[in-house]
Amino acid sequence: MKKLYSTIAATGLALAISGCSSNSLSIAEMEKLNEKQICNLEVHGVAGVLASAEKYNAFAKEHRVEFKRLGMTTSEYIAGAKKAIETNSKTVPLTNNTKPTKNSVSVSYAAQRACKFAVSALTLKAEGKKTWRAAVPGDEFQY
Amino acid sequence: MLLNILKTTTLVALTSCMLHASEFTVQAEKDRKALVEYTLAKFKNAEENRDRFFPYSTDDELKNNIQKDVKFEDFSMGNYAFNIQGQYSYNEIKDFPPYEELVEKGEAIYEENEALQACFPDTTIAGDYPYFDQTKKEVVTLTSAINECITNSGEKAWNEKKGKMAFVQGYFASSTQEADKKVNIKIESAEAEEAYKRGKEFYYTQRGYLKLSCATCHVQGAGKRVRNESLSQLVGQTTHFPVYRLKWGANSIEAGIGTLERRMSGCVKDQGQVDLETNSTEMKELLYFMAYMSNGMNVDGPDVRK
Repeated sequence: MKKLYSTIAATGLALAISGCSSNSLSIAEMEKLNEKQICNLEVHGVAGVLASAEKYNAFAKEHRVEFKRLGMTTSEYIAGAKKAIETNSKTVPLTNNTKPTKNSVSVSYAAQRACKFAVSALTLKAEGKKTWRAAVPGDEFQY
Repeated sequence: MLLNILKTTTLVALTSCMLHASEFTVQAEKDRKALVEYTLAKFKNAEENRDRFFPYSTDDELKNNIQKDVKFEDFSMGNYAFNIQGQYSYNEIKDFPPYEELVEKGEAIYEENEALQACFPDTTIAGDYPYFDQTKKEVVTLTSAINECITNSGEKAWNEKKGKMAFVQGYFASSTQEADKKVNIKIESAEAEEAYKRGKEFYYTQRGYLKLSCATCHVQGAGKRVRNESLSQLVGQTTHFPVYRLKWGANSIEAGIGTLERRMSGCVKDQGQVDLETNSTEMKELLYFMAYMSNGMNVDGPDVRK
């Protein structure tokens, strides 16, 4: 009996720890994210927006919904913006599948795009959970 | 007496298995039939059904570029089932298909590889993949099955998108086509049904910065134009793989042929999202759903696409 109690206690503790230490975002939490507020450069500055981009893109990657535009992932926008800040550069060179292109954007633009992409990936994930059946013939899709 | 009991028990067991197996396909069959019905209605007469299906298409497009009365079996040709202008170039290319020598390469690789011959003694199996492996509790695609066979024999895994993998799949598809076999995807357990449902949800869920689902283009968007291309329909989308794409083969013929995983990776990337890993659970379950939607159609791969 003691053994059973100790097993239950250990399991409970393990679950509590894993639950507390888990930083994962639930669908309900994703749904509440406000991209315009979170990625507002005037309110949070480039550093703040970039920090949010990093935070939310980690969740997007965890849920395998990270955005990629013209061969450049959100992670690459973040890395590019961080490097530009470190090296005091005003621009972030754009890449296409890790290869450099001739184009570049300002650091603030890169930070905000990364943030918007990171947050939108999550809100879209939450939205998709509610809307996908609307496209299924024989289900909610009417024609 | 004993023999009779044994026979009856076996019969009851088999019937029970079959009933259970069919129970897991109820929703999938409902989905497939509804999709086929929608696709047939859409391509019955595009011009007459403009308001229902093609509100933004031009008169010229509907009258001169979308075939009328497309039959179920024709959908295995992808968008060439209805795309009149595309059919001209398709038929020209099919006179001397660029993938023929690659299929021969696939056959040669198979003939020289004892492990492959042992794993796939029957080469007419292209329509039976993906399937759900009850032991592993996961979807097995032809690509993952070939690579498992190869690595078990001590060889390094092949590229899952092109090269030897696509050549051998081309040979399997060609053999299956010659044997007149059809797509025959099975859902025989609750776990398999769950995998199918996840694949279905993936297909219909909007994703990426462009907020597109696979269905946006290939269900609701099928038949519509994107620049000079007519979007293909989900019904029959997996029957003709591996495909030789003119785009892929621009630099070398060998690079021109690719697996379904290669194509789907590109599609997900086009939605504005980081592409799916070719061997990921999401990819396998997506292909499982897509292949089920083509059940009953002729396997007609490899084929050629733009």
